[in-house]
Amino acid sequence: MSTRKTINRFATIGGICTAVALVATGCGAGGPTSTGSAGTSTINVLVEGGGRAELTGVAEQCKKDTGVEANFVELPYDGMFNRLSSEFSSGNVSFDVAALDSVWLPSFKDALQPIDEIFTDEAKQDIFPALVKEANVDGHFIGLPAWTNAEIILYRKDLFEDAKNKADFQAQYGYELAAPTTWQQYQDISEFFTRDGMYGTDVKGAVETEWLAHVLQAGSPMILDENNKVVIDNAAHKEALDFYVGLTKSAPSGAAQVDWNAAQNLFNQGQTAMTRFWAHAYRQIPTDSPVAGKVGTAPMIAGSAGVAGVPGPWYLTVPKATKNTEAAKKFVQCAYDHNSMGIESSLGLASRISAFEKYQDKEGYESFGPLIETLNGKATATRPATEKWQQIVDTVLVPMLQKAVAGGDSATLLADAKKQIEDLLK
Amino acid sequence: MRVAERTKNDGGKLAPDVAGLYVPTTTGSRGRKRRGVNREGLEAGRRSTRTLLWILLAAAMVLYGFPFLYLLFTSFKTPIDAIAVPPTILPKEWTLENYTNGLGRNGVLASFINSIQTAVISTVLSLLLAVPAAYGITRYKTLSGRIFIMAALVTRMVPPVAIGIPLASMMASVGLSDTPIALSVAHTTISLPLSIWLMSSFFEAVPKDLEEAATVDGCSRLGALWRVVIPVVSGGVAVTAIFAFLASWNEFLFALLMTAIRSQTTPVVIANFQTQFGLDWGSMTALATVYSIPVILLTLLLQRKIVAGMTLGAVKG
Repeated sequence: MSTRKTINRFATIGGICTAVALVATGCGAGGPTSTGSAGTSTINVLVEGGGRAELTGVAEQCKKDTGVEANFVELPYDGMFNRLSSEFSSGNVSFDVAALDSVWLPSFKDALQPIDEIFTDEAKQDIFPALVKEANVDGHFIGLPAWTNAEIILYRKDLFEDAKNKADFQAQYGYELAAPTTWQQYQDISEFFTRDGMYGTDVKGAVETEWLAHVLQAGSPMILDENNKVVIDNAAHKEALDFYVGLTKSAPSGAAQVDWNAAQNLFNQGQTAMTRFWAHAYRQIPTDSPVAGKVGTAPMIAGSAGVAGVPGPWYLTVPKATKNTEAAKKFVQCAYDHNSMGIESSLGLASRISAFEKYQDKEGYESFGPLIETLNGKATATRPATEKWQQIVDTVLVPMLQKAVAGGDSATLLADAKKQIEDLLK
Repeated sequence: MRVAERTKNDGGKLAPDVAGLYVPTTTGSRGRKRRGVNREGLEAGRRSTRTLLWILLAAAMVLYGFPFLYLLFTSFKTPIDAIAVPPTILPKEWTLENYTNGLGRNGVLASFINSIQTAVISTVLSLLLAVPAAYGITRYKTLSGRIFIMAALVTRMVPPVAIGIPLASMMASVGLSDTPIALSVAHTTISLPLSIWLMSSFFEAVPKDLEEAATVDGCSRLGALWRVVIPVVSGGVAVTAIFAFLASWNEFLFALLMTAIRSQTTPVVIANFQTQFGLDWGSMTALATVYSIPVILLTLLLQRKIVAGMTLGAVKG
C-alpha cells in the first residue's frame, strides 16, 4: 500500500506541476510575446551572443528617441545560421531586425528588405568603402553595418622596449627592434623572440581569414575573381600560403588546431610576443593577464599590393517577413545615428569611421588607429559574395590550411582545393 | 558449502570451489596442509580480484567524474586562470566572480524556469503516452504492436536536425512558436521511443498472474494496471521519468530552433557565452555547474527507485 501511496503522491505532484506549468506556458517566463505584432513599437532583434552587449546602449537610446522598444533574441553563433535558415524558409520570422555576419548576406539576400533610404551619400562617406560594397547586393543595400572589425598587429610593448632585447636584436639583425612594418621584420622578430619557452607569434591553422589577408596583400582577389572563377591556385595564393606556413617555426606546435580562441589565449598568457588578431581583443585583455598594460598595437602590414585586411562586419537587416517594417527600419536608422555608443560596450566596436575617429586618441582605444588604417587599406576587401562561402571555408579552406601547416606541399594542396571549390560551385 | 567441507566429504576427489573451479583434494595431515594452503590461496585470489575491481571502479569514477570536477573547479577560477595554457586543474586563486557574472546575466532566471517547465511537461507527456503504449504492446503481443515498437526505435535513429526545422515551422503555423509547450512536444519526440522501450521491458517482468488475480477480485484491466501493475513497476516508472526529464533538461538543438524570448532554456543561454569575439569560460562553467545541481539532486532523491527499476526483471524466472 505504501508504494501505491507513493505513486499517488507522485501523480498528484506531477499533476499539479503540469497544471502550473501549462498555465504558465501561456506567457512564458522569458517575457512578452516573441513575434512582433503589426504596427506596434516593440520589435525583436536577433543577435549573436556578443552582439547584445554592443546594441544594448543603442536600444535604450532608440527607445527614448523614437519610442521603439527592442527585445533581444540572443543565440549562439554556431546555431544562428540554422535558425535563420529555418525561419526564412518558413516565411514566419520571430524577429523584426537581425544582426547578420557578413558572410551570411549572400545566403539570405532574398529574404531581406532593401534599406536604400538609410544609405545616403553622407552615410556612404562615413562607412568604410569595403563595407559599402558588401552591403550592396544586386543593386540594393540590404544591411547596415552595426560594427566592424579587422585584424591588426598586437605586440608585447614591454619586450620590444627592453634595452637588452633592443641591443641583442640590433646586433643580430642589423636594425632597431620596433613594431614591424614589413613582413620580413615580422619574420625576424618572430624568430628573435622564439626562445626560453616563448614564441614570436602564432600560426592559426584552424581558421582561414588570416591567410586570406595575406592573399590580398599579395595582390590577388580571395579565392574567386570578379567573374567567380576560382583563382586559388594562382601565384599570390601560393606565395601567401608559403609565407603563412613559414611562420610555424616561430610558433607553438600544433598549429593545425590553433583557432582564434587558442591564439588569443596564447597571447594573453604571455606565450607569444606578437599576434595578428581582431582589433577588439586589445580591449578584452583580462586585467589579471601577465600582459595587461604591456601591449602595443600596429596596423596590418602591407604586402606588394599594400595594406590589406579582411573586415569582419555585422549588418543590421530587416526581414521581408516582418510585420513591423516601419519600427524595424526606425531602429536601424537610430542604430546608425548612435553607432558610436557601441564603443562604450564590452565589445567596444562601431562601424562608422567618425565613431572610431572620435575615440582613437583616447586612452584605452589605441587599437582604433591601426584598425582604421587597416580597414581603409588599399587592398582591403570583403569575402567573396557567394552563398557557398561558409561551405567552402569549412570543407576546403580550413582542411587545406591544416594540411599545409602540418607540412603538405602548397602547390598540390592549392590545386586540390581549386578542384573541390569548382565542384562546390557547380 | 565451503571448499574445506567438500574436500572432507569427497575424500580426495575433485571438488568445486566457489567460483566453480575444480581443485584436487587429498586426505590426512598432508591433505590438511594442502587445504590450508588452498584456503589462503583462494582468499588471496579473492582479495586481488576485489582490489582489481576497486581499481577498475575508481578508474571508471575518474573517467565519469573528472569532466564534471574540471567544470566545477574552472567555475571558481579567475579569467586568466580559466584559459591557462597548459590548463591547471585546481584554481590558483578561488573566486565567486564567475557565479556573479553568470547568474547576473539577463534572462538566466527566466531560462531556468523555462527549462523546468519544459522538462516537467515533456516528462509527464512521455509517461502518459509511454505507459499505456508499452502495456498494450507487452500484454496483447500483436503483430502491429511489434511493428509499432520497432518503428518507435527507428525514429530514434533519425538525426534530430532533420526533424527540428520542419517541427519548428509546424509549431509556428499553429501559433505555438516560442512556447514551452511546443518545445516540450518536440522533446517528447526524443524521449517517447526510449520511454516505450524501457516501460515495455519493465512490464515484461511483471507476471500475468498478478493481473489475473486482480481481475478475479473485480478489477477491470485498466484498474489492474493502475492498482496492481504500476505500483509493481514504480521503480521502472522512476527510471523512465528521469531519463525523459534528462533528455529534455539537456536538449539543445530543438531549444535553439524553437525558442526566442519567452521560452529560451538554459542550455542555449550557456552556449551564448561562446561568441564570435571570445569565450567566457568562467561564467559558462559557473552556469553549467548551477544547471547540473537539480538533476544531481533528482537522481539522489530517486536513487532507490532507480536501482530498484534497473534490477526489475533481473530475477525473472
